[in-house]
Amino acid sequence: MTQTTMTPTERTVKVWNGRITMHFKVIGTGTPLIYLHPAAGLAWDPFLDALSKTHTIYSPEIPGTSSGDPQAIHEVDDLWDLVLIYEEAIRRLDLATPPIAVGQSFGGMLAAELAAHFPNLFAKLVLLDPIGLWRQDAPLANWIAAPPTELPALLFKDPGSPAAQAMLALPDDPDKAVAAQAALIWALGCTGKFVWPIPERGLHKRLHRISVPTLIVWGENDRLNPVVYAQEFGQAIAGSRVETIANCGHIPQVEQTDITLKLVNDFLS
Amino acid sequence: MKVTMFSQVPYRRLPHDFEKKYDSVVTTPWDLVDPEEVHAAFRDSLDEQLFAARSGFDGVAFTEHSQSAYDMAPNPNLLCSALAYATDVEGLNVAIYPVGRSLGKAREPVRVAEEYAMIDAISGGRLIAGFPVGLAYDANINNGVPPIETRARFDENLTLVLKAWQEREPFAWNGKFSQHSAVNIWPRPVQQPRPPVWITGIGNPVTMKFTLENGYGFNYFGWFGYKLTGKRIFDRFWEIADQVGQPRNPYRLSFLHAVCVGDTDADAEREYAPHIAYFFNKGLGSIPLERLALPGGIGLPGLHAILRDPGDFGLYLKMRTATFKEIVDAGCVIVGGPDTVADLLSQVARDFRIGHLVPMLQLGSMPRELALKNVRLFAERVLPRLHRIWADEGWDNYWWPERLGGKRPEYQRPEEARTLERI
Repeated sequence: MTQTTMTPTERTVKVWNGRITMHFKVIGTGTPLIYLHPAAGLAWDPFLDALSKTHTIYSPEIPGTSSGDPQAIHEVDDLWDLVLIYEEAIRRLDLATPPIAVGQSFGGMLAAELAAHFPNLFAKLVLLDPIGLWRQDAPLANWIAAPPTELPALLFKDPGSPAAQAMLALPDDPDKAVAAQAALIWALGCTGKFVWPIPERGLHKRLHRISVPTLIVWGENDRLNPVVYAQEFGQAIAGSRVETIANCGHIPQVEQTDITLKLVNDFLS
Repeated sequence: MKVTMFSQVPYRRLPHDFEKKYDSVVTTPWDLVDPEEVHAAFRDSLDEQLFAARSGFDGVAFTEHSQSAYDMAPNPNLLCSALAYATDVEGLNVAIYPVGRSLGKAREPVRVAEEYAMIDAISGGRLIAGFPVGLAYDANINNGVPPIETRARFDENLTLVLKAWQEREPFAWNGKFSQHSAVNIWPRPVQQPRPPVWITGIGNPVTMKFTLENGYGFNYFGWFGYKLTGKRIFDRFWEIADQVGQPRNPYRLSFLHAVCVGDTDADAEREYAPHIAYFFNKGLGSIPLERLALPGGIGLPGLHAILRDPGDFGLYLKMRTATFKEIVDAGCVIVGGPDTVADLLSQVARDFRIGHLVPMLQLGSMPRELALKNVRLFAERVLPRLHRIWADEGWDNYWWPERLGGKRPEYQRPEEARTLERI
């Protein structure tokens, strides 16, 4: 697994009239930054480590994926519930200034939904290969139904690269490997509730409501969520900037960490 | 013991190298098909069932599989209603058992309640109502239900169906998955307060407990190889029965299994082997795991259990390439002369306290003549021995239509299905 230099602390807030406890992993110093994780759940990586040098990262775990609380997902019926729950949770952090939002894939869709529903919630928005749009001529791959053996090729331009291998590796300890596999499958199930069977819930109708500076980053070789959607997002969000990265699949912050970091840091500074 | 013949409607002419060249039997391109063979498959399947009804079987059964080449039956109720009418005309007192319509899949549960009520009306009270939770590829991929919602949808839909059957006055329904300003279905089932309810499962203890606590029958299929899975599954069932304080009445347990009867053991092996291989290699074996189990369909504790011990899946994980010997040795099918088959089935029934047997007598590419022979030999040589099992213990059969000798249970009306524990 990825080496980290710091260990995040945990902060919890009760939301949804007390029915859900949202768990945030918190790390770093500086301007507040909300990181919204992808469909596979929250995984700490060098990209987040680097961002934490200049930002305080608050990363909420989607209900159901927090340790010891798998049933929480059943309190969330649909994407509208989820958006309200996240807004409530972020508001209850009582941050001094509106945070930056960075979202990857599923988290990118969620970040865009939050920014569209609540135009004053975030200071800036960074979307890394966000899902949420659908064109019949460029269907997204169904990552939830894909055989596990095909996932690496959906996620990475080069599944054999050390960064990809590090992300895909399972713990050596058999018990920990079972726990990691089960957690990954369950996270895909929890997030799948909001995007199954087609990851499109009308976001295209709402993107025009986003009014904060927005950076859209896309891997040019994204086989899960084709790069044609970068321009779709860019055209729908007024004043946004689109950056595509060569030799890069669906997870730019893992496959092309340095380039992604530079783009994001330039945008945020 | 009650014996109900089960059939699928398989496409019987998949190419010989299908399992090597094609991804799966649930994503098969329609271009492979000869339309005449599709017609023949339906005709033969219904003929074989009607022949079973005429030959002394206690019931006839189909089930639901959409978008599949191994069973072209997206709605078993169309087939079962044809049999309900035909058996009524001929005065054949057999149960009509749609093993599913899956309520985890159904987006129109009131329609399911109506269709079952129609079959009960057409048959004059001979319906057995099957409600499987739902296969992942069918409920989730074919019908778009999020995997994590399958159970909750099943739970709510079953409650609605039971209420629609039993409530005397029109009622409003404000569910999470469906809303109706007034439910007042016509017809209601002939069997009141409701027909017997059976749930088919593959061994999830939550489902077993649910059936035991609510007075439903539990049906298990042995295609994964009962010699590998049977003891685990059936012992688990009876242990849960003990835990919830239900008597070990064998009639609450059903076993659906592939059976091939020949004139002799050698004849049976020779005649049926190619069709057994077709059924298991091209059919069940060509449903990839990721289409039988999708993320969200199994809860976190269940995932831990399955990842540590996948034993409930038996031979399934290597079914696509399994040899005839492996298939028979695992007990995926019982094949032999009449005495061999009767001995094995009697032993299975006695060992595991099974009161209902649901033999599947047409498999894969098996042609009409051979399937009819299988039905005939089973009816003449195996059935009489099976019918005697449990007769000596005097149990009441609450899971069988009253008109056909079942005993009506006492219900509180209107009956509400208890909420399924989340898995």
